[in-house]
Parts: sequence; structure tokens; C-alpha cells
Amino acid sequence: MINLENISFDHCIKCTICTGYCPVARVTHLYPGPKQSGPDLERLRIKNPELVDASLKYCNNCKRCEIACASDVKIADIIGRAKWKYSKKRFSLRNILLTRTDLIGRVATFFSPLVNFITRVAAVKFFLDIFLNIPSKRRFPKYAYKTFRGWFQRNKNSQMKFDRSIVYFHGCYVNYNDHDLGKAVVKVLNALNIGVIITREKCCGVPLIANSYLKKAKKQANHNIQILGKAVESSEMKIVSSSSSCAYALKYEYTNLLELDNTRIAGHIVYISEIIYQEFEKGNIPNMKPMKLTAAYHAPCHLERMGGVIYTIGILEKIPGLELKLLHSECCGMSGTYGFKNECYQISQDIGSELFSKIDAIKPDLVITDCETCKWQIEENTGYETIHPVTLLSRAIEKVKRH
Amino acid sequence: MNYDCIIIGGGIAGLTCGIKCTGEGLRCAIISSGMSALHFSSGSIDLLGSRSGQNVVKEPYAELGRFIEENPGHPYSKCGQDIIQKAFSFFQAEVRAQALVLFSNGDKNHFHVTPIGTLKPTFFSQKSVFNKKIRDAFYRKPKIAIINIEGFRDYYPKMAAVNLKKNRLFKGCEIITGSIVLPGEKLNPKNPHEFRSIDICRIFDSKPDLDKIASRISSIAGNADIVGIPAFLGLNNYNAILKSLREMTGYILYEIPTLPPSILGMRLDNALKARYAELGGVFIAGDRVIGGKILNGRVEYIYTENHPETRLYAPSYVLSTGSFFSGGMISDAEKIQEPVFGLCLEYAKGRQNWHRPAFFHPQSHPFLSFGVKTDEHLNPYGPSGERIGNLFCTGAVLSNYNPVQEGTGSGVAISTGFWAGTQIVQKETGQHTRNHD
Repeated sequence: MINLENISFDHCIKCTICTGYCPVARVTHLYPGPKQSGPDLERLRIKNPELVDASLKYCNNCKRCEIACASDVKIADIIGRAKWKYSKKRFSLRNILLTRTDLIGRVATFFSPLVNFITRVAAVKFFLDIFLNIPSKRRFPKYAYKTFRGWFQRNKNSQMKFDRSIVYFHGCYVNYNDHDLGKAVVKVLNALNIGVIITREKCCGVPLIANSYLKKAKKQANHNIQILGKAVESSEMKIVSSSSSCAYALKYEYTNLLELDNTRIAGHIVYISEIIYQEFEKGNIPNMKPMKLTAAYHAPCHLERMGGVIYTIGILEKIPGLELKLLHSECCGMSGTYGFKNECYQISQDIGSELFSKIDAIKPDLVITDCETCKWQIEENTGYETIHPVTLLSRAIEKVKRH
Repeated sequence: MNYDCIIIGGGIAGLTCGIKCTGEGLRCAIISSGMSALHFSSGSIDLLGSRSGQNVVKEPYAELGRFIEENPGHPYSKCGQDIIQKAFSFFQAEVRAQALVLFSNGDKNHFHVTPIGTLKPTFFSQKSVFNKKIRDAFYRKPKIAIINIEGFRDYYPKMAAVNLKKNRLFKGCEIITGSIVLPGEKLNPKNPHEFRSIDICRIFDSKPDLDKIASRISSIAGNADIVGIPAFLGLNNYNAILKSLREMTGYILYEIPTLPPSILGMRLDNALKARYAELGGVFIAGDRVIGGKILNGRVEYIYTENHPETRLYAPSYVLSTGSFFSGGMISDAEKIQEPVFGLCLEYAKGRQNWHRPAFFHPQSHPFLSFGVKTDEHLNPYGPSGERIGNLFCTGAVLSNYNPVQEGTGSGVAISTGFWAGTQIVQKETGQHTRNHD
């Protein structure tokens, strides 16, 4: 029986405009494009799951098809669900390693100097390439020693003195890789007179969703809905994330793709730059020293999908002395775990190549982007230091304090 | 969030208005959900194609005065001939700044060929659709070859040839058809019949072996003068590709618009967006304006689907949300609504009066002229009938014109977008541009 409740693909008028904006279809014919992979083939798949096409795996879930769609078809969700529902489930050690961010993070942060050393050894990379299909050309993100959460616990008393508070969903990247970004978020929010609260969150589930571990993703999502829901219960308190993809997942993927009820938290979730922008608008702007920098800004796909790019640009424009060059949004190609797979590596590089040459042409002092995996891709391919907008804000604020 | 001007809708009307405003130094934001009708368009710009759907208009500017007189409620009448003419020159100059050159037949209309081989009058076309060489060659009764690329399933040269031969303008022209295979291993290794226009366009943009393509075209076209090819000769490098192929083959190459996505239309879209960005305009693509607050005949603020709590403020707003397909209007069994502000609409009561029984009825369908009611400044009327002084409506959301029957779609979009922009600039900068009265 065909589930008549789930026929949103019927809104597709077959115009193929989404394929015109698909970064993957732009660089490879292995992927027929979102229209065909999504609404077209969904008709066949619901009749006969045997008709599933191997090309589904090439979708990098950037959501640019949904931005392009004039008929409001949730194309990426159709593809995401089909990947999970119809693809043959095969055990993949690589995909498990790439998606169990909390588990790997906890182990790696404990032995971080060793982990950071061995992931840079050519022989190890060769081994990973041959046996796990992880491209040896990829540079692994460095792990921090211990967790951000640990640092926060030691310093949480300093957060009591503020009248207003915000729940900070730090995400795995801040917790295990980049404590400085987490500290920058705390510093900037504190400078706006907002205290920070942290919950016992789990990974938002983005890597699990992208690799079709939807059961596990649902479990973690439920945990986050419970724990974050409890923290903001009967209050207007916001939940901020400093990763655009985490914010997108918590707010949209949980309900659209995982089909969970996230109404307890959805209205509270805001990407960090929007909150900062709103404070700036109210005149709550901390003192900032001129930065005298040229920065190129890359807007990540998921932030674009949320319509959140204007807020990041809005706060960056408030940093005195900063010369901002907008890179006019193209996918960087990394797409989370996508670029860490041998079968997608070349596609990932080809997608990003236009962006890399745009950055090279600007010769900025640094690149700014809201997403950690965009940062890895840009740093690896252009050599320019790539930082989060909040990191730059905190540097500007810090400068004032020092003087 | 504060801007000098917020434009709802990023199609040809919204972008024209946005370019006008940012070009005059205003801080402007366009909020757009989904790609625009340009992706479905021929990529040519119509000014006035026909009067009452019957007679083809030869000289649209000469005809406009009478047209305006006969149709006082028409958006063109609200702009006036002077603004329309300025808008067209403005548009031509702005896309030219992005190396997209639009050609016109002096002050006259010219025809472009449709995918099925019929002719449509239009005013501006891209170089591969109309220029002096194409016109002159046409008068010599040229031999025409219509060539497809194998695997492109959205085009049938034989059908186009049969229809063209029926047209008296093509009497005496020999028309042959054929197809070539694209060289190189970039072809889809699995199914060569999965090509859409955008796939082939991307192959052209990725520096294919043009020499080989040229010689394959020549082997089919032989001693033809003009080679018609579906419009997919690149989105980025089209000027260079066209030039090279012309030099290599010696033919006059003619691009025929395809089914969506229309590459000719996307070139215009790209040029407009790039121009707008170059001038410093903000373009928000992933969100949709869902409502706004109207107070004392003014829009106070608007808000979007993804950020319902963030109020977006500006002294002037523009509604360029398009017609039914783009979501500028929504209809149910009894009524039609404008979903953002609930503006007053002009439309026939009774659903049976919205359309005619025959799809290709010579008098066209009434619903095509339904839309927002506006005054001569393009200001609409709110839910309780009050005039909204700081909101301007442009393009297909407007009432009282039938873009299909008249061949005025892109012309009205450009003229009203420009007219709204001109008034906003005047208000914001106190600059005197034109006394409308």
C-alpha cells in the first residue's frame, strides 16, 4: 500500500531547476541530480524498493536543492529518508568511526597528543586509505586535550552573576576539537551580559543522519529534546549553537527527517549570530578595537538554508576596521563526513575548487565561516587560517581588555 | 534588522528594483524563496508583443501611447511611457555590466523561435538569439540546420522543423535536422538519455573539445547558413563558446530556448544577481516572508518563516512575489488571497469565471489578469481598504494585465520594478527624478 500521507514529492513539477543548483551534479555525472534522486525515483521506490539506485549515496545533503525549489518540495528530506529506508544496510567500520563522534571524541581527547601524532603519520594514513576507504590526502581535525565541558564545569561559577542566561549547545567539535571556539562563545555572550548554561547534550546527530544511522540518530535526538526541553521549560530562554549544522538539525531535521516532536525546543533554537545580532540591534554592543584585517566570508549551506547568513554578515560588519569580502555562497564540498570517504573525495574537491580559487584571488588575512567542516576544507585547500565569526568577535573584544 | 528598502521576491521585478535602489546607494535586502520564473523563461525580454492577442506589434514604443490610453488600469499606464523606456535602457545597461549583451531590432520587435518551432515577438534577445547578422542572413532565405545533442531528451528538431516550415516567413528556406554525439568521456557512463539542458550546459562550461564538436556540427549541417541548437552553450563561458564555435564552423549559431531549466533565462538571473551583489545588495535565498504588520496605512515591519521573531524594518517595502505559481497569490474554491499582507485583489467573483473552457482560447484566461489592486504609484490597498503608502507592488503580482496574451510579462516586471525603485530612491534621498503627475 502506498502511504498517502507522504506524497509531498507530488508537488514536484519536474522543472529540474534544483539540479541546476546541485553542487554534486555540477561536477559528476555519477549523480543524476536531486530531482531524479528525490521526487522522481521516490515514485518508483514506494512501488518497488528493488528500484533503489546506488547514486543516492552521492547526495551530500547540502540542501541547496530545497533553496532552489520553487514548489517547496523537501527534496533533501526525501533523499535522506530514502537512503535510510531503502539502501542495503551494510556494516561499515569507517562510517561507524566517522559518525560516533561522542565515543571517538571521548577516547581521542584523552590521548589527544598521541592521536594527533598518529593521524598525521603517512603510514597510518595509507593504512586508513586501503582498509577503511578514508582518503589519505585528507588532514584529520586535531583533537584537544580533554573536553570543553570539563573546562566549563571548572569555570561555571563565573556564569552565575548574569541576570539573563542562555543554553549553549556546544556540539562535538567544540567539546573535543576546538575549546577556543567554545570559550569565545562564552566570552562574547558574557560581554553582552548573558550567562551561559550547558546541558548533558549528546551529538546532534548530523553525521548519523548523513550516513543513514537513523535509529541511532533518533535515540540521540530524543535525548537532546528531553534534556534541552527541560532546561528551557516554561521560559523564553534561548538555546544557541555555534555550528550551523547542529542548529539546523535540532530545529529542522529532528522533525522533518527524523519525524520527532521537537516543539519543546524548536522555538528556542537559534544560531549564535542571530542572538548576537539582536543584542547589537538593541544597542548592546561591547567595545571592540579595530581589527585592520581583510577577511573573506564563506556562508555554509545549512546556514544559507535557514536564511541565517544575514545575521553573521550583520555582526561582522560591526567589527571596526574589518574589510569583509563576501564569497557568494557556493558549497565547499566537504559536507561533514562526505569528504572523508574515498568514493566522494574527488567530488568533494571538485565542488570546492571554485571557492578555493575565489579565496586565493582575494588573498585575505583570514577566512571566516560558521561551520567546522567548511573550515577544515578551506584550510586544507587554501592554507588560509579559517575561523568562526564569534572567534573574531572575541578577538576584537579581547583586544580592548588588554589595552 | 534595518534596511533602507526590503524587497519580497527575487525574480526579474525584484532584482530590477534592487539594482536600481542599491545602485543609488540604498541598503537593500531581497528575500526570495525558490528560484524565479526566469528559469522558465525564454531569456528574451518582451515589451509589447501583441494587441489583444491578435495582431503582432511591430514597433512597441510607437504603439505604447495608444495602448496606455486604451488600458488606463494597466501597469504600463501607471509607469508611463517615459519610465518604461528608461527602465528598458537601464536593464540593458545593468546586465551588460555583467557581460550579458541584449540586442534589439532598433525600436522594433523581432521574433524568437520557441522550442516547438513557432515564433514569438519580443524586444530584447541575447546575442545567440538575435543580432544584425542573424537578421540579415534571414532575409537571404538561408539554409537552416537544426541540430540536437544525442541524449538530450527535451528537444525534437523534427517537430521544430515541421512547425517552422508552416510559417510563411520561412517559405523558401531549406530546413534540415540531425543530431551529434558529444565527444569525451564526460558523458554519463550509465544512461545517455538522462541529459537535461543543465547537464549539457555544464559539459560546455567545463571546456570540452570544441574542435571536435565543431567538426561534428559541420558534418551534419553541411552548407547550411544558420545552425539552430538547443540553448545549452554554457552558463559561465557562453560568450567565448559561441565565439569559438562560430569561428570554427563559419555558421551563424542560433540558440533555441529549451524546456526548464532554461539556460537563457538562467544567464539573465545570474547576471542580475551578480550585478545586485556587486552593488552591495543583500540577497536572502533560504527564507520566505510570511507576514507583516500594517499600521495607519504603512507597513511597520515584516517577518519570515525561519525567523518569525525577528522583525525586519525598512522605510519602504516592495512586493514582487509573482503570480499563482510563485506563491504571490493563492486560490481556493471560492476566493483568491495575497498571502503576505492580505492585500485587496482585483478578480472575478465565481470560480467558473476564472478560466475559459479551451486551454488555447483566443481570448486567453481571465485569471492571468488577476492580481493586487494598486494606485498610480503602485501602492496597494490593505485588508481594510486603506492605501499602503510605503509598499510598492511590482511584476506578476499586479492586476489588470495579461502577460501571455499581450506579451508584456518581462516588460511589466522591469518597468514596475524600475518605477518602484525610482520612487523609493526619490523618497529616501530626496532626489528629484520625475514628477509623476
